[in-house]
Amino acid sequence: MTSVAPQKSKSGFDFSNYSRNHFLDGKGLGGFTATSTGTTIVGLIYKDGIVLGADTRATEGPIVADKNCEKIHYISDNIRCCGAGTAADTEFVTALISSNMQLHALHTGRKPRVVTAMTMLKQRLFQYQGHIGAALVLGGYDATGPQLFTVAPHGSTDKLPYVTMGSGSLAAMAVFESGWHKDMEQKEAVDLVVAAISSGIFNDLGSGSNVDVCIIKKDSTEMLRNYVMPNERAKKEQKYGFAKGTTRFTKEHIYSMIQKEDVFEVGSTAPTPAPLPAAAAGAGGEETMDTS
Amino acid sequence: MLGLQPGSSTVVPTSAPVGHRFEPYDSNGGSIAAVCGKDFCIIASDTRQSTGYSIQTRYKPKVFRLNDKATLATNGFAADAEAMVSRIRQRLEWYRHSHGRSMPLHAIARMISTILYGKRFFPYYVYNILGGLDEEGKGAVYSFDPVGSYEREFCRAAGAAQSLIQPFLDNQIMFKNQHSTPEHTVPKPGEMSLPDVLKIVMDSFTSATERHIEVGDGLEMFVVRTPPSAQGEAIGAASVDLKAMGGVEAVGGEDEQEEGAVMVIRRELKKD
Amino acid sequence: MFLTRSEYDRGVNTFSPEGRLFQVEYALEAIKLGSTTVGISTKEGVVLGVEKRVQSSLLESSSIEKIMEIDRHLGAAMSGLTADARTMIEHARVTSQNHAFTYDEEIKVESATQAVCDLALRFGESTEDDEAMMSRPFGVALLIAGIDEKGPQLYHADPSGTFVRYDAKAIGSGSEGAQGELQDKYRKDMSLKEASILTLRVLKQVMEEKLDENNVQLATVVPRVAKDGRPSGQFAIMPVEELKKVIEEM
Repeated sequence: MTSVAPQKSKSGFDFSNYSRNHFLDGKGLGGFTATSTGTTIVGLIYKDGIVLGADTRATEGPIVADKNCEKIHYISDNIRCCGAGTAADTEFVTALISSNMQLHALHTGRKPRVVTAMTMLKQRLFQYQGHIGAALVLGGYDATGPQLFTVAPHGSTDKLPYVTMGSGSLAAMAVFESGWHKDMEQKEAVDLVVAAISSGIFNDLGSGSNVDVCIIKKDSTEMLRNYVMPNERAKKEQKYGFAKGTTRFTKEHIYSMIQKEDVFEVGSTAPTPAPLPAAAAGAGGEETMDTS
Repeated sequence: MLGLQPGSSTVVPTSAPVGHRFEPYDSNGGSIAAVCGKDFCIIASDTRQSTGYSIQTRYKPKVFRLNDKATLATNGFAADAEAMVSRIRQRLEWYRHSHGRSMPLHAIARMISTILYGKRFFPYYVYNILGGLDEEGKGAVYSFDPVGSYEREFCRAAGAAQSLIQPFLDNQIMFKNQHSTPEHTVPKPGEMSLPDVLKIVMDSFTSATERHIEVGDGLEMFVVRTPPSAQGEAIGAASVDLKAMGGVEAVGGEDEQEEGAVMVIRRELKKD
Repeated sequence: MFLTRSEYDRGVNTFSPEGRLFQVEYALEAIKLGSTTVGISTKEGVVLGVEKRVQSSLLESSSIEKIMEIDRHLGAAMSGLTADARTMIEHARVTSQNHAFTYDEEIKVESATQAVCDLALRFGESTEDDEAMMSRPFGVALLIAGIDEKGPQLYHADPSGTFVRYDAKAIGSGSEGAQGELQDKYRKDMSLKEASILTLRVLKQVMEEKLDENNVQLATVVPRVAKDGRPSGQFAIMPVEELKKVIEEM
């Protein structure tokens, strides 16, 4: 088995690990996937429908990339999907399935079912063998009643009355295991979802900021964005302004952003040519904009 | 997982054996920072200790009083840090017994350096910042790498949020990238007042908490100065009434000589 | 003094029934055979002086080394078995360097003296693979002079591992007379120059030969400021020309 080390790319991409990975792959030690599941997402079935919940922290390694992102994605009016994992994958896969669900609804002339979305999602994720890093909690209310599923990145699914996903799933599940029971009242159900997400927010470093909640019933879907905000930033001790001229610069270019045009009505006196742009630039006066 | 190879009657393992290796190190998150002024030094840390995505505790101090004029902030692998601090404290006590006085700050700095280099090939995975007062009573900060390289500075941040805090301190304490204009003169580093430095340190940590998942829970700021009672009329940092700030406590030890030489100010940080 | 020999004067680790360690006491006797050594501490610094016994006219007197530098800020003069002193000085030098390396500061005079005295007691019969031990006590005493943050200091360290601080001290064969002379002539406010002259006068009194620049040696430690701002000293053995001048002034 010979592998040729690829030439160093001039494009700026670095392929220097290719040979190593290929070698390790051959030994059955592969799998260099860059997935982050820093999230807490949950869902449960209660007396009248489904309650979904999510935190709002997005991370890049240990850095908080977004303090208030949306993780409950729209599938259809009566179906929503919480996403954990690679942000782009959860966004694109839910948007794609949302489109396909709408086409499917138009095609069949029926209200879409949750199982349909679930099947479409799992088939797509399975097709990509886990390379689409999306871990999902799918919930909705359709002709068959309230439906709740989880879809794992490799395409396996679970159908359960209460589910959690993401790095905060254990923290959240601990709350569900102690608090969930059959036929909960709506307030009780929402409070439990909030408690589960909060458990993730405070005990899992991958989760944080606010609680988003979505209540899906037979004839209504309520998206409660930032339903609880337990982590607002404390006021800073000081303002950090700089006196004018504090920052030094080495070059100054002043561009004219104004293009002068002479407009003439058709049939009036002969037009006079507008001044050339080159002449306008640096002409000074009111035409220049100070960018310093 | 076992599988049968085609055309063979023997069972051949198809997956590589799993090797278990001793992993002596962990990284326990959190961040530390120290800034010194003319006659004081502030040494701060958050109080969260974590591993991976889990919080081990929301209150584990990373700054330690060594004597009236020295505090040490540690960051990296908590077990190594703890072992190191015990060793340093033991050495300080030995020194006190054999030389009849507390070890001065620059000697502590050198000693820490030799202790770290002594484990050059199995290092203490700890980033240290030593803060306090030098023999002239001036504020001093010494920073170390895990194998003993060290340097005296005006300010230093280390740990998980070093990359977030250090540039801020460089700009606000060292006045980097700030230039004087005819109307406004940029001050010299190391001349800021104690309350002004405290504000910058607090904002450093609340901001790092916002953007770093391993920073949070609590903030401890140690203030080392010549205590107010020592002179008749308090001047400089000694004249600042820290007790009025709330959450302030004097930190003493068996070797305390002047009450209130080391104070700690505690603040809450976000817990998510 | 020790007319009766007993079983107890052989082993270095055996006390006599009267509570004495004869070998240590004999070691102290060895010092009394040594040449006279004097040290005087003043506010301006410390001076050390030794008698060099030039036994032969063929002997190169400059090769007799009885005052040695331990570190920049301290030195020692010896009396007794001078060969043993080399081991002690070497230990003091290593301890001093080690302190400077570890703590980035100069060792205190007392600490260096303590280190020498710790070594003085490491004699006895070693068991198994214990750290190497010395077979007998040292047969030499040291006068250690130096300056640190506590000012100019003079210490006397002997084979029993005891050290005591003195304003002025004489050891060796002529020490009894010399110490009496020091007792009379020492003043707390004397200058370093006066102390040097007193040292020479005391030596002259107890020496058999006529004192000159070849059979005595002087060393001084004068004040200096260390790099950390602390008071410290500068040790120097007096050059022969300078010594000659002091002798003339005597």
